[in-house]
Amino acid sequence: MTAAVPLEAVLVVAGALFCIGLFGALSRRNLVGVLMGIELMLNAVNVNLVAFWRYLEPRFITGQTFAIFIICVAAAEAAVGLAMVIAIYRNWLTVNADAVDSLKG
Amino acid sequence: MALFLQLAWLIPTLPLLGCALITFTPLRHSKPASGWTAIALMLLATVLAVGLLAASAQGLALREGQVVSLAGDHGAEEHGAAGEHGKGEQHGAFAFPEPNLVQRIAWAPTGSSVFAMGLYVDTPVAAMLAMVTITATCIHLFSLGYMAANARQSRFFSFISLFTAAMLLMCMADNLLLFFMAWEIMGLCSYLLIGFLFERPQAYRAAIKAFIVTRIGDVLMLLGLVYLYTQAGSLTLGVNEGEIFNPAFLERIGAERGFFGLSHATGIALLLFCGTIGKSAQFPLHVWLPDAMEGPTPVSALIHAATMVAAGVFLVARTYPIFLADGGAALGVVAFIGAFTAFFAATIAVAQYDIKRILAYSTLSQLGFMVAALGIGGWVAALFHLLTHAFFKALLFLGSGSVIHAMEATPAIERIHHHDEYAAQQTAQDIRNMGGLRAHLPWTFWTYTAGYLALAGVAPFAGFWSKDEILADAFKGGHWIVFSVLTVTAFLTAFYMTRQWRLVFFGNFRGEHPVVFENPEAPRKAAHHADEHHAGHQEGHGIHWHEDPTMTAALVALAAFAVTAGFFNLPFAIPGGHWLSDLWGQEALPFSPLVAGISLLVALGGIAAGWTFYAGAFTRAGDADPLATRAPGLFRLLNEKYRVDELYQASFGRLVALLALFWAFIDQILNRVIDGIGQITLFVGRFNFIVDDTLFNDGPDALAGGTVATGKNTRRAQTGKAQDYVGYVFAGVVVLAVVYLYVLRR
Repeated sequence: MTAAVPLEAVLVVAGALFCIGLFGALSRRNLVGVLMGIELMLNAVNVNLVAFWRYLEPRFITGQTFAIFIICVAAAEAAVGLAMVIAIYRNWLTVNADAVDSLKG
Repeated sequence: MALFLQLAWLIPTLPLLGCALITFTPLRHSKPASGWTAIALMLLATVLAVGLLAASAQGLALREGQVVSLAGDHGAEEHGAAGEHGKGEQHGAFAFPEPNLVQRIAWAPTGSSVFAMGLYVDTPVAAMLAMVTITATCIHLFSLGYMAANARQSRFFSFISLFTAAMLLMCMADNLLLFFMAWEIMGLCSYLLIGFLFERPQAYRAAIKAFIVTRIGDVLMLLGLVYLYTQAGSLTLGVNEGEIFNPAFLERIGAERGFFGLSHATGIALLLFCGTIGKSAQFPLHVWLPDAMEGPTPVSALIHAATMVAAGVFLVARTYPIFLADGGAALGVVAFIGAFTAFFAATIAVAQYDIKRILAYSTLSQLGFMVAALGIGGWVAALFHLLTHAFFKALLFLGSGSVIHAMEATPAIERIHHHDEYAAQQTAQDIRNMGGLRAHLPWTFWTYTAGYLALAGVAPFAGFWSKDEILADAFKGGHWIVFSVLTVTAFLTAFYMTRQWRLVFFGNFRGEHPVVFENPEAPRKAAHHADEHHAGHQEGHGIHWHEDPTMTAALVALAAFAVTAGFFNLPFAIPGGHWLSDLWGQEALPFSPLVAGISLLVALGGIAAGWTFYAGAFTRAGDADPLATRAPGLFRLLNEKYRVDELYQASFGRLVALLALFWAFIDQILNRVIDGIGQITLFVGRFNFIVDDTLFNDGPDALAGGTVATGKNTRRAQTGKAQDYVGYVFAGVVVLAVVYLYVLRR
């Protein structure tokens, strides 16, 4: 199976996934959409880690452990992020990312 | 008596106080009050001065606060003094009497030593002080009446008081620097008083002329003082070590040669004598004195006849040991200048019409007598003539003032006065317009006659004795040229004074049709001719003649001295004879009947010549002078004063004008240069401005502006939108990745 699908192909998929996530995170007006973009980027990294583990060092479980950690972080991040979205909505009555520019100072 | 010695310092102080009181207190608003204040203080000073003379005549002296008596009688004192100082043998018979009073105060510390100045009174000074205070008091009194019509009479009293203070201080000065300071204060007062009627161009021009001409002499005199100081290291009068009459010092400067092969003594003496030439108006600096008659008449009497002009003679008398130090080399010049001036001025006086100018030239002539007397060694005779001349010349001037005062009240002149004050005064002073005043002004006539006889040299009036003594000195010393010149001058003196006296006081009054003075600077209001026609109806007896009582009092007082002053030094060996010679500790001249006879003959001859020559002359004011009809060329030359003024105008005046032109040219060039420097400075300034503006001003401005603009631009990046920031972060990551992959990995 490893021979049928080369590592490069998997990396390209992960890269594409990351770029899609990045694009979503940067261009979505909806904060929920932004969070979804971030999830996509994290999962692209997961794909990367799992691919490197499988193709380069299958004897160790380092890659899988990293991936599990990232999934945990992503879950926590989603919880915190959605909580922030709700808090922002309560304050600004909007979830439009462009309207939330109070960092401007 | 000793009190007078202790109070001697008050003598110059009192007139000074008068000046201060009149100038600085409300007294100045009252003309009589200021006048009487000045007169009272002058009277007090006169009492003190006469007392001082009496005390010094008794041989009293003040030594360190103690009154001591100088050696018994004056003859012994002289021999004692001469023997003690060892000068008598060295330089003829001349030695100063011992001082009666020397008071010094430390004036200016000059590092190692102290420059002291103070008072130095010996018997000649005491006699001078008495003369100055008496004449000054009389003249103050006279001014009370004479100047009453002038709005600035208080100022006049202030000035003449200041002048008197300076003159007294000069006589008493114990060193030549203080002497010079007082001398210059007198010069200032002379300037102020000649120009007292400063509304008249002639008056202020005369004042400036007097100031500048005397300044020429004064500068040279100052050089002489500096020369003396470099030699002696001191200017203090006295015979002690370090003082200028120290015998050893005099011997040294008499022997050592200085500039032009002259001994130091001669050089110093000649430079000092230049001061005399200026101040005593000797030829060739005599031109200022006749013009000084533009001042009010009391000023002419006090300053330009009795005192200030005599200061030059006094200077030579005071520094006489220096003149003698070289065996009298400088005295030849002194005698020549004196004799020449005496004759020169007397000839001019013959052909003048202005009553005051005649007296002014007479003053020049008499000063020439004194200077000539000093030049031939007649020290006592010169000072004696100075004293008597002061009295009778002051009297003559005051008398002329009284005459002018009366003339100005005549209708013809009052009419001129309406449109030209100056022409009126000049017309009033013209002796051609007078005549017959004997009947109208009796007091003036009799006192004037006393002064006239004294000046003409008729025994026993004052002028005879002093003039005779000068002639006797010349005769005895074998100075034949001086003797003959002075004798001729004495004749001329009697002649021109008789002419004046006769034309003023005798004959018929000619003032109804006066010779009107043509004033080149007349205010152009009315023509003279219109007035002259009206004058025809006036008669002499219709004029209100008057003599002011204060003026008369002053005249009488001075006349008393003009008659008696000669008796102070009678040439006879009787008790009281040679009184001044003895008082001054000098050898007395034996009486010479031959010289006295010549002198009297000459005087009477001059009077007779004048009387006959001018008999019947001037029936009308417009007549020609008899001398002018007989010798028109000579008369014209004399009348125009040998054209010396014109000569100076054409030579020095033109030279100065040329110099002025030259300096104006230099000034133009300097002007250009300075303009150029200004231009360059402007250019540099412009350049600096540009540099400053662009580099130091615009530079930081641009920096600040750039910072602000950068800030403005950068601010836009801070949108506050999280997505933008993330975008930057990833951009940074991309950049780092590129750097890492393509730069660092190589």
